[in-house]
Amino acid sequence: MGILCLGLNHQTAPVEIREIFAVSESRLGEHSGRLCEVEGIEESVVLSTCNRTEYYAAAVDCGVASDHLREFLQSQAGSRLRVEHLYEKQQLEAARHLCRVVSGIDSMVLGETEIFGQVKKAYQAALEKGATARSLNQLFQKAFGVGKKVRTNTSIQQGQTSVGSVAVDLAEKIFGHLRDSKVMVIGAGEISRMTAQSLLSRGARSIFVTNRSYERAEELANELNGESVRFDQWHEVLQEVDVVISSTGAPHAVMKREHVEAVRRKRRYRPLFAIDIAVPRDIEVEVGDIEEVYLYDIDALKEIAMEGKGQRADQIKLCERIIDQELIESGLFGS
Amino acid sequence: MAQWLLVVATVLVVLGGVWGATAFRPGGRNIGTLSCMVLAFICQMGVLGIRGELRGKCPLGDYGEILAFLAWALVLFYLVVGPAYRLSLLGLFTAPVVAVFQVVAVLPGVMDRDPVAVVEVDPWGEAHAAFSVLSYGAFALAAIAALMFLVLNKKLKDQQLGSSLFRKLPPARSLLDSIVRLTSIGAGILTIGIISAFLMERDSALGSHLIAAIATWLAYLAVVFMYFWRGITPRRLSSSVIVVFILSLLVFAFV
Repeated sequence: MGILCLGLNHQTAPVEIREIFAVSESRLGEHSGRLCEVEGIEESVVLSTCNRTEYYAAAVDCGVASDHLREFLQSQAGSRLRVEHLYEKQQLEAARHLCRVVSGIDSMVLGETEIFGQVKKAYQAALEKGATARSLNQLFQKAFGVGKKVRTNTSIQQGQTSVGSVAVDLAEKIFGHLRDSKVMVIGAGEISRMTAQSLLSRGARSIFVTNRSYERAEELANELNGESVRFDQWHEVLQEVDVVISSTGAPHAVMKREHVEAVRRKRRYRPLFAIDIAVPRDIEVEVGDIEEVYLYDIDALKEIAMEGKGQRADQIKLCERIIDQELIESGLFGS
Repeated sequence: MAQWLLVVATVLVVLGGVWGATAFRPGGRNIGTLSCMVLAFICQMGVLGIRGELRGKCPLGDYGEILAFLAWALVLFYLVVGPAYRLSLLGLFTAPVVAVFQVVAVLPGVMDRDPVAVVEVDPWGEAHAAFSVLSYGAFALAAIAALMFLVLNKKLKDQQLGSSLFRKLPPARSLLDSIVRLTSIGAGILTIGIISAFLMERDSALGSHLIAAIATWLAYLAVVFMYFWRGITPRRLSSSVIVVFILSLLVFAFV
């Protein structure tokens, strides 16, 4: 029995095509069952997430099964489905692909763990519907084992690759959960907006926004559900906040050592995380010399993000080695 | 029997530390440390129980017993604080300290093999000894958390964020909260120990041991007072807790 995988994902098909094939969790089993009715397909599992829909099938002749499956899909989407939207893998390639999916290395957010559970649910639904037998049971059980091994033996899910996510990770390293943390955004630029949004999404309690143009500050404050502060009053808020994100277009430093020194006692020397995304820099370097201040400028954040990318690349190679080794050792799927 | 139980406890603690260290490898999880520490704690209870029976009083009659009691107190506070505040790495840092205390305690001659049972017990004296050593468990753990904070602080300041150690260290705020709580709890327990010392039967007005204990108590109160009254930078708080703990060990020289 051969193994076939036909699918479309965020890399091959736009969302308007992906949504045609999206299947709700409650109907996965039913769809897997229906796929078994397609000529040439003996067993099937339908996997559907927001980024992908994949059809796994066991067939005596993978070529014939593939033709019929393509026809079946075409009948659902009509002319909108083009050849390049679909990818096809057979035998060992199909097994390798499923292992990559389960391990999170084929995901949009590299190393995400949610996909493991989603694949398990899809398989469980097909199993309960009686759509799987020996071939796909072996394939999925093997993939779950490999997925666990990859996550245990690599750090694929570690390391951030964008300035915003690095800043959020650092904030969590300093403050733990962010629900007790207050944030001040100086300058209403795009990166500071995104960084502030990331902090809010991780639970930051409140946001103050200040900008030379008060209207712009109010606009961003409304968007972030925060509070606007006049630019000549931002240092009065400094004693309350835990994180400062600065990205003004000022040609000189906006936050100086004396500003922080003035409020240290009132802050009771609590840690302050200062993120300077501006070029030229908004926060005086000497601010970082203050004991309880952790100052990171755009270069430092980018460097960490680059390290994260480098680490991820190394980890992907390691993951793929583990997957290949496991599949070869299994002697299954034509390996 | 007590010595053998202490050896078992030491092996368990070392095992817990090694298990904790495996958490540094990619994808590693620190799952065994807590179990080892719980088992070690049970063995320590056995040691102290046996020694207490032999002495007929609180087992703090020689350096071996003091060290075993101190190790027990340290593990006790670790078990209370570590899992509650998700400070899993605290076990890794605590294990070597406990192991050193216990290894010294089992060295020949450190723990009296044939202790003489007392005829009469002074309850205030017992309370003084027990509460004082118990407070040292809290202070020792506070010092360990402070050391962890200093390592984290240095890495954050120097922007060296790539190591496994950095990734596994708990957040700075959790560590600072633990330092403050443990120091405050320790100071509270030591207060009871000091009050008991004034109520127990003594040969002289203020022995050198009691003076050292009071100095330790005042030093910790000063740290706690500074923190709550006017605030103190996290680094200074951590350094103070470590320095005071090391200096306070001198108390045992006067026991």
